[in-house]
Amino acid sequence: MSEWEPKIVSFLCNWCSYGAADLAGVSRMEYPPNIRVIRIPCAGRMSPKFALAALREGADGVWVSG
Amino acid sequence: MITFKLNGKKVQGEEGQYILQVAEKHGVDIPTLCHHKALDPAGMCRICTVELFDGRRTRFVTACNYPIWEGMEVKTDTDVVHEGRKLIVEMLYARCPEVPLLKKLAKTYNIESPRFKPEGDDCILCGLCTRICKKMGNSAITLTGRGLELNIDTPFNVQSDICMACGACASLCPTGHITLDRVNNLFTRQKNVRTIPSEYEMGLKGRKPVYVPYAQAVPNTPAIDRDVCVHFKTGGCKVCAEFCGVDAIDYAMQDEIVELEVGSIILAPGFEPFDPSKFDAYNYANHPNVITSMEMERVLSASGPTEGHLVRLSDHKEPKKIAWFQCVGSRDLNRCDNSYCSSVCCMYAIKEAVIAKEHAGDDLECTIFYMDMRTHGKDFERFYNSAQEKGVRFVRSRVHTIDPVPGSDDLAVRYVTESGELQNETFDQVVLSVGLQTNPETVALAEKLGIELTEGNFCKTEIFEPVETSQKGIYVCGAFQGPKDIPQSVIDASAAAASAGAALSSARNTRTLVPEVIPETNVFGERPRIGVFVCRCGINIAGVVDVPAVRDYAATLPYVEYFSDNLYSCAQDTQETMTQIIKQKNLNRVVVAACTPKTHEPLFQETLINAGLNKYLFEMCNIRNQDSWVHKNNPELATEKAKDLVRMAVSKVALMQPLEEAELQVNQTAMVIGGGIAGMSAASTLAQQGYETHIVEKSDALGGQALNLFKTISGDDVQEKLSHLIADIDQNENIHIHLNTELKNVEGFVGSFKATLAADGEENELEHGVAVVATGASALKPEEYHYGDDPRILTSLELDRKFMDKDPSLKAMNSAVFIQCVGSREPDRPYCSRVCCTHAIDNALELKKINPEMSVYILYRDIRTYGEREYLYREAREHGIIFIRYSLENKPVVNLDDGDITIMVTDHVLGRPLEIVADLVTLASAVVPNKNEALARFFKVPLNDDGFFVEKHAKLGPSEFATDGVFLCGLAHYPKPIDESVVQGRAAASRAVTLLARETIHTSGTIAETVPINCSSCEVCISICPYSAPSFIEEGPFAGKAQINPVLCKGCGLCVASCRSGAIKLKGFDNDQIFAQIFAMNEAV
Repeated sequence: MSEWEPKIVSFLCNWCSYGAADLAGVSRMEYPPNIRVIRIPCAGRMSPKFALAALREGADGVWVSG
Repeated sequence: MITFKLNGKKVQGEEGQYILQVAEKHGVDIPTLCHHKALDPAGMCRICTVELFDGRRTRFVTACNYPIWEGMEVKTDTDVVHEGRKLIVEMLYARCPEVPLLKKLAKTYNIESPRFKPEGDDCILCGLCTRICKKMGNSAITLTGRGLELNIDTPFNVQSDICMACGACASLCPTGHITLDRVNNLFTRQKNVRTIPSEYEMGLKGRKPVYVPYAQAVPNTPAIDRDVCVHFKTGGCKVCAEFCGVDAIDYAMQDEIVELEVGSIILAPGFEPFDPSKFDAYNYANHPNVITSMEMERVLSASGPTEGHLVRLSDHKEPKKIAWFQCVGSRDLNRCDNSYCSSVCCMYAIKEAVIAKEHAGDDLECTIFYMDMRTHGKDFERFYNSAQEKGVRFVRSRVHTIDPVPGSDDLAVRYVTESGELQNETFDQVVLSVGLQTNPETVALAEKLGIELTEGNFCKTEIFEPVETSQKGIYVCGAFQGPKDIPQSVIDASAAAASAGAALSSARNTRTLVPEVIPETNVFGERPRIGVFVCRCGINIAGVVDVPAVRDYAATLPYVEYFSDNLYSCAQDTQETMTQIIKQKNLNRVVVAACTPKTHEPLFQETLINAGLNKYLFEMCNIRNQDSWVHKNNPELATEKAKDLVRMAVSKVALMQPLEEAELQVNQTAMVIGGGIAGMSAASTLAQQGYETHIVEKSDALGGQALNLFKTISGDDVQEKLSHLIADIDQNENIHIHLNTELKNVEGFVGSFKATLAADGEENELEHGVAVVATGASALKPEEYHYGDDPRILTSLELDRKFMDKDPSLKAMNSAVFIQCVGSREPDRPYCSRVCCTHAIDNALELKKINPEMSVYILYRDIRTYGEREYLYREAREHGIIFIRYSLENKPVVNLDDGDITIMVTDHVLGRPLEIVADLVTLASAVVPNKNEALARFFKVPLNDDGFFVEKHAKLGPSEFATDGVFLCGLAHYPKPIDESVVQGRAAASRAVTLLARETIHTSGTIAETVPINCSSCEVCISICPYSAPSFIEEGPFAGKAQINPVLCKGCGLCVASCRSGAIKLKGFDNDQIFAQIFAMNEAV
């Protein structure tokens, strides 16, 4: 189990969290490379269907931020 | 290219490269202690020894300085190599047993204690220091002696002055043998070696000589600080030039003098924070725990030196008790020359205290020592009240001295309470709320330009021309005009732009260059032909992510017809190449894997447009900011992530369709609602810019509240100025005045509004492109202090009327009392009316002028004469006007007995009740907005709890609404004096002109669209949309189904996600496109 790594899909709002993720890069912060970011125009665009689809496709976690 | 075997695998390197360089590139780890990529290799530490087979025999060579050659075989991982390395580590460990680096290495090689005699040295003689010193152009230190005598020393062991204390040696020393302190003591005697203080971090952190001033700097390119860069002192170093992949470093670059031909100049030089070093009694210069508010801002900032962790500077412990001292460098003629109020410090101190408590938890004790609490801005009083509820303590006292507590890092503060008791209290940290002042360079600039300054060294302006300097054609905005906060600066800036532009309106568009329009290729129905461009971004991406591997991976993805990698995709020449490739390869979709779409999407979309492609046939994937920069220690997984992101982007882009941006004509007419000072300023600005403007005023005259005002603080006759302004408006042929007119209805949206105006029983329609709301406010009719029971009890405006009428009774009066905050700062109306303190003091002075013998009292809660209005307060005290403070709980009482007015108030100094017999009582009644709910509905703009309109953004959008095409100014926004109404009227017009000047508006392509046949008319989209974009179709086959106005839609997708019938699509971010990304990630990680 120790080698298990989660797959996380994140839906980030273009205006805040996506920009924050960019800033984390500009600031050279480090975090594990397990997430795949999908940019959405606003957290309001997030649909439960996206979260379900991501989980069905094998994601271990879905992170919505906005 | 040279091919050789590395650990049995064929690898390639360039001629002249060393084994270590090639191994590094291929991810083969070879330890080294004496190597640095900026320096020529020296083979000093020998720990990088590897095994080399030359075809005949095996040798051991140092990888750092052994050049590669064709056919050689290198092994880095054999037992013999490890044995050798272990021996070297053991010897070094024996020499330097206390050095952490060697302890760690010894542990790696399982050496518990070396077999050799420990020596207790801490220098491993790697020579990095001497080599970097030589590279810096100094050679102040060198390797001396041989064999056992080998040492790092100055030549001939003689103290030299060659060392310039650049600190390069200390920065490379791997063992800590050389530190900046040692450099200070041994080599440089007098010189003070320290890190270069970062200006942005207020000196709380260091920066490099090559630096980007701050993360958001524009342009975001590094600069070299010539004053501290070693190259400019010795001619050496040049490391940055060697490492720059695009040869951007030009040491010979000189400052240039550029001449610009302009018609107007706007001065926005800002302010400098007051430097409290000269206040010896505060110990700011000597004690690390006495900091300025600007330093506190950095400490509290998540991007600051402590990453938002609240610690004090002496010991980096979390403080438990913090004090703020207000008015440091403001309202002070005793210890400095700034007698004005800096306007912003009360509010920022409260903000810092509240944020500090948020960061450190509720048990942090925050105390603010102040003279008057000046929270006169919009919603500021509420913030002050909530800070008190959150436990921020407010003490009305000006503290004289801060004493360090001996034997600790704490600070003793001695102050006198309101009741006159001396208190001693200890704090962990003290924040000095420093004021704003004009920089001496700005003063010099003003002198050069011939601009008059005020007593406080701010730019002198007139009340009715608040952004015009004394020089024609030169305008001013921001804190140089007077100390002010962000919203007021933003308002100023818009107004200055309008004024500067008005003078040049005839020249508008005369120097515009029109770009060539490239016809768009119709790709409808074509099979996707995707081009993938992977960017190296120099080494920013390629240093971590295996770019060729990502590029080659892209080639395997469906519909990908072209793939390549670029050194810098955003470079001008690359853009041109990409344009050519798109055309030649007939690509119809493009993916760029590079930095972030937030900054670079528009640039690449421009490339698509230049290649004749619709700009929405594009997708960017972020393999720098969200990949290589954040996973630099994990190149393999970063490469995998990049591949996943490219795959997701390719699957999305294949589904992208060309999108249209609707073009909308902007009606070139403006409607201004309200004919007061703000409305007239807006109208005259719009008219000056050449736009037809209609003023709609419900009363029978222009002028608004200004009709009731006597004079301005600078002594101008308001009525005289007002009549000039009205005459100008009357004569302006661009302005149409509609008096006695009501606004019955407004329909439409930005660029095409239709208003129904009702006057004299007739209704007329007015079509307009933009609207300015300037509906004003009025004075509260007081219901306390016996107002209305005696003609001698008046409101401030009624006293103004007496002045205007030159009422002879004023001269005969012996005693006048002003009562402040009548209806303001009360639970029912928890805002400060901003204008009353200044107005009352001005009127009190006027009474003194009429009858110098008159006793004048002002009963107040806090005097809020912000900015240079403070001078009036000073003048009032000089003229013997008596200020008595009262509290909300203990308000003055007005009694009417036998024709006498007596006022009972508790004196704050004596603590005893006082009885004042008054001939005149003036009540500073609150400014109350004309709560205009119908108007709010017409334009879909919000009102706050107090009835003022809510602007788009409290700081950055103070003169406009979130609804496009509708602007805001004057008292309808918040109480404000004449100058601020004038300036906001102009600001609103200025913002409106940015729309009008465009003539057409392009809507975004990425907006929502309904499929009416699927719509179930549930109305959820209509109720949920913050921009009122959806509505029901009124006629035709789809009547009753929802439609979306593309002009109003901001493309947030809220309606799309909430549509229960799946009847709404979001173009560019539609379900199938996002699902495609989700489905494509299934190979992830």
